[in-house]
Amino acid sequence: MSKVVFSPARINIIAKNTFLEAVRQKFFGFLVIIALGIILSSQVFRDFNFGAPELKFIADFGFGAIVLFGSVLAIVATAQLFFSEIENKTAITILAKPIFRSEFIFGKFLGVSLLLLVFTGMMTVILSVLLFWRETAIMEGVDPEAFEAGRMVAYGDIFLYGIVQWLKFSILCGITMVVASFSNTNLYSVILSFVILLICHLQYLARDAWAQMEFLPVQLAVFMLSAVFPNFQLFNIGDQIALGESIPFELGARIIGYALIYIIVFNLLAVFSFRKREI
Amino acid sequence: MNWKALVVIFVVLFVVGLAVRPVEGPAWDELREREPSLRLADLEDALGQGVTVGLLGGFRAIVADLLWIRTNVIWEQQETAVIPATETMIRLVTTIDPRPVYFWLNGARMIAYDMSVWRVREAGDYGNIPDAAVRRYHDEQAETAIRLLERAREFHPDRPEILIEIANIYLRRMENEEKAAEYYRIAAEMEGAPPYAARIHAEILRRMGEYEQAYEWLKELYATLDPGNPAHQKQVVLGRIRELEDTLDVPLIQRFQP
Repeated sequence: MSKVVFSPARINIIAKNTFLEAVRQKFFGFLVIIALGIILSSQVFRDFNFGAPELKFIADFGFGAIVLFGSVLAIVATAQLFFSEIENKTAITILAKPIFRSEFIFGKFLGVSLLLLVFTGMMTVILSVLLFWRETAIMEGVDPEAFEAGRMVAYGDIFLYGIVQWLKFSILCGITMVVASFSNTNLYSVILSFVILLICHLQYLARDAWAQMEFLPVQLAVFMLSAVFPNFQLFNIGDQIALGESIPFELGARIIGYALIYIIVFNLLAVFSFRKREI
Repeated sequence: MNWKALVVIFVVLFVVGLAVRPVEGPAWDELREREPSLRLADLEDALGQGVTVGLLGGFRAIVADLLWIRTNVIWEQQETAVIPATETMIRLVTTIDPRPVYFWLNGARMIAYDMSVWRVREAGDYGNIPDAAVRRYHDEQAETAIRLLERAREFHPDRPEILIEIANIYLRRMENEEKAAEYYRIAAEMEGAPPYAARIHAEILRRMGEYEQAYEWLKELYATLDPGNPAHQKQVVLGRIRELEDTLDVPLIQRFQP
């Protein structure tokens, strides 16, 4: 009998199935429509805008929609697709075959990550088209003098923003995968993942504040907190892009490197935890 | 739940968190340098500012805009009963989105110019109450507005409009010409400052009797002005230089030669 070896081809099959299953879900379509609606409605909401130029406001609003709905999709889709295999007992059938649990985890991750790439890509393109359309209108009619130096919006950076957000959603997918690997219900995984998302967004407060704490045990606890959770504010480059600043190559590379490290770590942790799970 | 596995996960994440600091640290420092709302000086700031920035993300702008509309609805009642609510709303809006200077300037104007009038009116109105009471109401509201604008400077250290607004409040509400002159000077020396800031600084110096200082300031200013730019008012500045030369009895031979 030949020994079963780790197979990227099997991961690919699981990833493809996961992606197709995810795309067919009503939840994905629903989120896409809502997110598109929000991005396009920035044209309506700009009438309420006091503090910022129109293009900045639209960009800000679009980035907000991508982050919010992308995060929801990353958590809910991952948990649903993971638990659907367990609740429908298909996981038992799959894992009874010569498939490693690590292949199952990596396949699931890649499938959801691909889904998140499609979502983020769609939203980024729509936002860019909207910005291009408004910028052209402003250039030609309202304020041509402001565009003497050329277009204001750095479209390349908007796509960089899309890539960075996709990587952040992929980390979130990895986190949800770790949570799902030891939890018993879909709902528990979703709630706990949202709590972790919140902590990751506020991690930077602990990172900056621990040194100011006077009580040593609290200081240590806050320091632990700042080290255990990834810093999601690092991916918050939308403000700079919306303000018309470009993102330096080194900064972009560091953010991407940071994301890739955490994606690998959370996937390995999910494998570690899932191996100990009884199905 | 396997507690041993959970402990291993935490330990691994802790070690990874420390190991990635060399990658994350410089990027985070640069990002925070570029984004004022991520620069939190103390814990008090962190709890208010940080949480809203962290949670609202890209929707900060629209949430702040809608709350600004609400602030204006409250402010339109124009009575002392709504002062705490209006001040709270202004603080809330500027906490949620500190980026637009518009909120800081208009919030400070509401506090300094409108609320002081509401308080005087409620106490019996101008002419009916002692000047000292009017002075007190004006000063108290002006100080609150200046505190707000000083906070705005932390987020916008390079915006002269904020310093000009502080100077305006010192001049118009507190009648403190010395402080007003100082803030107009700081604003005038900043890049992108409107040319009138430098002229007002000189005018206040003149009103304070600091003729020499005003004269020297205007002579230096004149050399920097563009004759083709109507906002620079080069002829007006020259006229003021001549007036000061008359006041200071500068001999004809020593007078400023443009």
